[in-house]
Amino acid sequence: MTFNRIAVALLMTGLATQAIAQDLSREQLLFFETKIRPVLVRECYGCHSNKAGNVRGGLRLDTRELTHIGGRTGPAVVSGNLEESWLYNAITHQDFVMPPKRKLPQSVINDFRKWIEMGAPDPRQTDVAEIRSSISKEDVERARESFWAYKKPTRPQSPAVDDAAWPRTDIDRFILAKLEQAELQPASDAEAYKVPRRLCFDLIGLPPTPEQVNYFTKQWKTDPDHAIEFVVDRLLKKKQFGERWGRHWLDVVRYAESTGHEYNYTYPHAWRYRDYVIDSFNADKPFNRFVQEQLAGDLLPVKTDEQWAENLTATTFLAIGPKNVNELNRALFEADLIDEQIDATTRVFLGQSVACARCHDHKFDAIPQTDYYALAGVFQNATTYFSNPPSEFGQFSGLQARRSSSLIILPIDDPSPYDTRYSSKELNDLKRQAAEKTQELNRLPRTGVMGSNEGRDILRQRIRLTDEMSRLSAKLSVVGEDGKPRSYTMGVQEQGSPMNAQLLERGEIDQPGQTVKRGFPQVLCSTPVKIKERSSGRLELARFIGSDDNPLTARVMVNRIWQHMIGHGIVRSTEDFGVTGQFPSHPELLDYLAVQFVESGWSVKSLVKEIAMSRVYRMNSTFNQDDHQYDSDNALIWRANPRRLDAEAIRDAMLSVSGQLEYERPRGSEVAKAGYTRVQGGSLVNARVMAQNATGQARGGGRMRFNGQAGGRSQFGDGNRPVQRQGQGGFQSRFQGRQSFADQSTDQSRANQLDMEDAKFRSVYLPVVRDEEPRSLAVFDFADSNAIVGTRESSHTADQSLYMLNNRFVIGQSAALAQRITNESSNTREQIERAFVLTYGRPPTSGEWSAALTFVHDFGGTISTASRQQETLQALCQSLFASAEFRYVD
Amino acid sequence: MTMFSRRQILQSTGAGFGYVAFAGMSTAKAAQEKSSTNPLAPKSPHFEPRAKRVIFLCMQGGPSHVDTFDYKPQLTKDHDKRGKYGGSLLKSPWEFRQRGDSGLWISDLFPNVADHADDMTLIRSMQCDQPVHPNAMTQMHTGTAQFIRPSLGAWTLYGLGTENDSLPGFVSLSPPSGRSGNYGSAFLPAIYGGAKIGRGGRTARLARGGSGESVPDIKNPTLSKSQQRTQVDFIQALNREKLRRDKVQPGVEGVIESYELAFRMQDAMPELMDTSKESAKTLAMYGADGGPTENFGKQCLLARRFAEAGVRFIEVTHGNWDQHFNLSTDHATRAEECDKPIAGLLEDLKQRDMLKDTLVIWGGEFGRTPDAQGGDGRNHNNKGYTTWMAGGGVKGGFSYGATDEHGYESVENKCHIHDWHATILHLLGLDHEQLTYRYAGRDFRLTDVHGNVAKEIIA
Repeated sequence: MTFNRIAVALLMTGLATQAIAQDLSREQLLFFETKIRPVLVRECYGCHSNKAGNVRGGLRLDTRELTHIGGRTGPAVVSGNLEESWLYNAITHQDFVMPPKRKLPQSVINDFRKWIEMGAPDPRQTDVAEIRSSISKEDVERARESFWAYKKPTRPQSPAVDDAAWPRTDIDRFILAKLEQAELQPASDAEAYKVPRRLCFDLIGLPPTPEQVNYFTKQWKTDPDHAIEFVVDRLLKKKQFGERWGRHWLDVVRYAESTGHEYNYTYPHAWRYRDYVIDSFNADKPFNRFVQEQLAGDLLPVKTDEQWAENLTATTFLAIGPKNVNELNRALFEADLIDEQIDATTRVFLGQSVACARCHDHKFDAIPQTDYYALAGVFQNATTYFSNPPSEFGQFSGLQARRSSSLIILPIDDPSPYDTRYSSKELNDLKRQAAEKTQELNRLPRTGVMGSNEGRDILRQRIRLTDEMSRLSAKLSVVGEDGKPRSYTMGVQEQGSPMNAQLLERGEIDQPGQTVKRGFPQVLCSTPVKIKERSSGRLELARFIGSDDNPLTARVMVNRIWQHMIGHGIVRSTEDFGVTGQFPSHPELLDYLAVQFVESGWSVKSLVKEIAMSRVYRMNSTFNQDDHQYDSDNALIWRANPRRLDAEAIRDAMLSVSGQLEYERPRGSEVAKAGYTRVQGGSLVNARVMAQNATGQARGGGRMRFNGQAGGRSQFGDGNRPVQRQGQGGFQSRFQGRQSFADQSTDQSRANQLDMEDAKFRSVYLPVVRDEEPRSLAVFDFADSNAIVGTRESSHTADQSLYMLNNRFVIGQSAALAQRITNESSNTREQIERAFVLTYGRPPTSGEWSAALTFVHDFGGTISTASRQQETLQALCQSLFASAEFRYVD
Repeated sequence: MTMFSRRQILQSTGAGFGYVAFAGMSTAKAAQEKSSTNPLAPKSPHFEPRAKRVIFLCMQGGPSHVDTFDYKPQLTKDHDKRGKYGGSLLKSPWEFRQRGDSGLWISDLFPNVADHADDMTLIRSMQCDQPVHPNAMTQMHTGTAQFIRPSLGAWTLYGLGTENDSLPGFVSLSPPSGRSGNYGSAFLPAIYGGAKIGRGGRTARLARGGSGESVPDIKNPTLSKSQQRTQVDFIQALNREKLRRDKVQPGVEGVIESYELAFRMQDAMPELMDTSKESAKTLAMYGADGGPTENFGKQCLLARRFAEAGVRFIEVTHGNWDQHFNLSTDHATRAEECDKPIAGLLEDLKQRDMLKDTLVIWGGEFGRTPDAQGGDGRNHNNKGYTTWMAGGGVKGGFSYGATDEHGYESVENKCHIHDWHATILHLLGLDHEQLTYRYAGRDFRLTDVHGNVAKEIIA
């Protein structure tokens, strides 16, 4: 049964409370031993104990701890809380019927009621083993003092170089010094036209226009430094900068708009965090501040509601990880949630994998298991809000979402255009239906559920009604009493008074060990950080990570920035600055950049500019046999790395060149439009809802407006209005067309919904549903949103070729580009030249000229009608998109 | 035999053109040159091979050896006693029986596979170094979890080429998303990487579609075949221009190779994926006609069709074996989903006389602990577990190696993942010490500096 009647978010597992030794009074002990234990032994142990070797429903009642951990539905007993104690639910034959054959006498039930109300005193304590770490204090200290990454970076001296004329900046001196040591020469400067292409793709993820290239080339001849500075300053001011660099960040923080796993439920409010990230990069928000907001935005002091809303949204970082919401075991779900938060926090900000120490001491780094649980204590005092708020009818999550939570209401109203708004009639209609369903649910007999045919029928009805209730409740919960939308965000909030976590032997939730005082991994703290008794420590953690003194935060971030500009990190393992990670190729340069970064007030834009202004950045990518032989990985940077564009840049470049790109940011996302729902078969809309709705429409207009359909609302921006196509119309066009789609909808069209082939906005705004990423992104190595990805792969596959040859989006963009060119000129040679200039940023070489002319001759044939010419030009444009040159920055 | 380095390929084809520079030509000379330079052309192995191709049934999540193929009577006897690393020992909820003439002990989780016991070699002494899923999975595929290295399939393709140049030589059906390194080529030329068919999240759809439409963008909506050939020739001319300018650019070579393959795949793939002409009897044999076996049955059937079409290495993934909880119900469900399909595959290969030179491999990234986790679950166990092989020159009805009395650790004829790799390559006629690729000034091999062939399992 997944229907959770309690309208609260996550509750603590009780793991922490177990640590408090229970001093039972004589009366309590007597009560338990005479009234409770005999009943448990006689009635329950047969099916629910370790000793009997039988654990139906994952529930064991052998010990106090196991009873509190409970089984697949939740804790069997929550001290003082009848409502949440499934044991009480079962013996009173509510959702469960236990014992299965007959009801316990009322007097016994009353005893259990009394027992739970008095706090469920229970002497059956498990002996707690003290887990000793194999990593000693001395080991930790030695690591802290000797391992490079744990030492605070200091500004290194700029090295002396022989060729003093070459360097423009300190960066150049660090690179050149190493090259000279190895007796290698830095490559010469790149051709002028290549530089703006690099700058534009690196800074804003879009190609330069031919006019920009021309202007740059002229400037470059007189003053290359000035030419670059001019372009960089302009690009840094564009809002496309945040869209480019925000996406890099979204890769690292495993941004997605759904839970992932087999039962994949949407996060309809995740997009707020996406926009927050983009805006933060555009505002050049100090990176240390950015860090603190994401870890503890809910705890930072604020002056305005706007700032508060922004800070709350930032904590979405802790809530968007992948989750197995179908997890049977509540305690395990909570432990996994905290584990995921620890893993994300330490790897994203510090390049350390502390989560390795969940089950045992870290095998390589000096992180004992106790340090993991010290950090777990910090996180376990936060409630994570990730799914769907309750309505007045209660919390109904999806049928398979056994684990769910509410959301955080923003202090200021900021509705997305897709937030539902109901008229009072619609609202009443919904409420009436919900009330009906609730009554129906209540009318269902509670007994006889197990076994019989009748029982199975009742169960089926119950499942159906619960499913319908979850959908109705999800609609009602997102609007206020007036039918107007409420603005929600995902995120975290502190709860109650902070408690320490208990170490779990081998990471197993039923093997608790000693309690560990809240704290941070010692190896990262040169001076121990104090956590106040009344503070969870999360704010302290945020300040500790976002501190000028942290040895890792700045290094990890500057390394990523370097990677995105140069092609590989100074530390290649961008998320692993531990012992198993790689040693920096240029340790002094890394420290120099880190110090510069902190001293600039943690300004990402300043660092981007500094790298862009270096001589290193403008080197040619020319291959050199001898240098390659010596340094095939280009670790010393003897040339620029030829780089394949990432998926977003390839798609956005096609849109930009074809003239179709919509620069306006669409608010919300396809997922926000769909609302809270389970993703199935690549579709955001439940098949049954679609069928129901079709029937409703056939009866003369839908009775209610479902989140999942456009229902007359405007689409993203203006240009995303779905094109009505013959035959294979997209999913949305069906809605717009108001056709009955129950009989038309096919798996194929539903599967394509998330690909959004008709969208013309930037790729960063495409929906990111876990395991269902849009094809245009997935095909070119989009970051797996189930993982923390600092470095994307860059593959070359036949699938990519099929995409470029046959995909509808690519063909559409080729047609648009051909049209654009035809509008400018009707002369074939001019058209060809223009196509090259637009796609490659330069005119064709002589080899390319002859290939293009051959193509036009062979493809166009002897017939020269206007339409044939247009087709030929379109095929030529598509070929340019499809060619290797288009997807490379050299 | 000749192993081509990228450099050699480039030198032998002149000014740095990839081999496919010739693919568009139709002259006999071009065809000749193509056969000598096509990196996917069939190559002679180092010695007489026992297997020509591999079907790897990858059981993601770690199926429990002590509940499937590693019979441990002592574990049953010691049920509830303390295990050697703590926790209570948990007897298998399933009966083990002796199967076939050979009398191999196999549990009731795999009743249909057990019917083929006399064709199987159980390797009951597997070991790997990684106790967590992603790392162990990567080590199983590439030999190391620490570095990015070519996968077993990529090495196989590099060593042997493939027999159908209209299909990828290495395919991975429905691999888990985001783990492309497990079928990647790493520093080997891109053409040796595995082609992903269907993705983890979309497995069900792959199984549902009866035709090639389940391969996205496999058909151009408007262009004729000859028009598209003209277009591809132009794209390749542009790519070769770039390669000429760049001199050495593995990425661009990868692009060139991928276009030729993609062009040919447009015809070959829909035909291959279209199982509508398979008889009802065949579909039933794989359990591909409905029920819980439909999905994996369909994939096993596709695996056979790929094998028949000449694809060198086919991997099929069956996930969610990670039963820390609910072992008794969920392991049963997982096994039910794949037992009949696998038995059907073995049967079908045998009927078609393909089992003799098709090496079928079954295994997960590790096994599970003999002691209980949460009463009805088991934890990861990488120090001792079982994989099996059938066909392709391995002994039938044979058991190799052993774990200790409860199944914790391999104690006899230990088969580390490096040994397993060496053995697989050996069956394919490749010497794991000779199959090297020079990269960044060093000769790399799948087994690094390890690996012993388990000669005893060879028939």
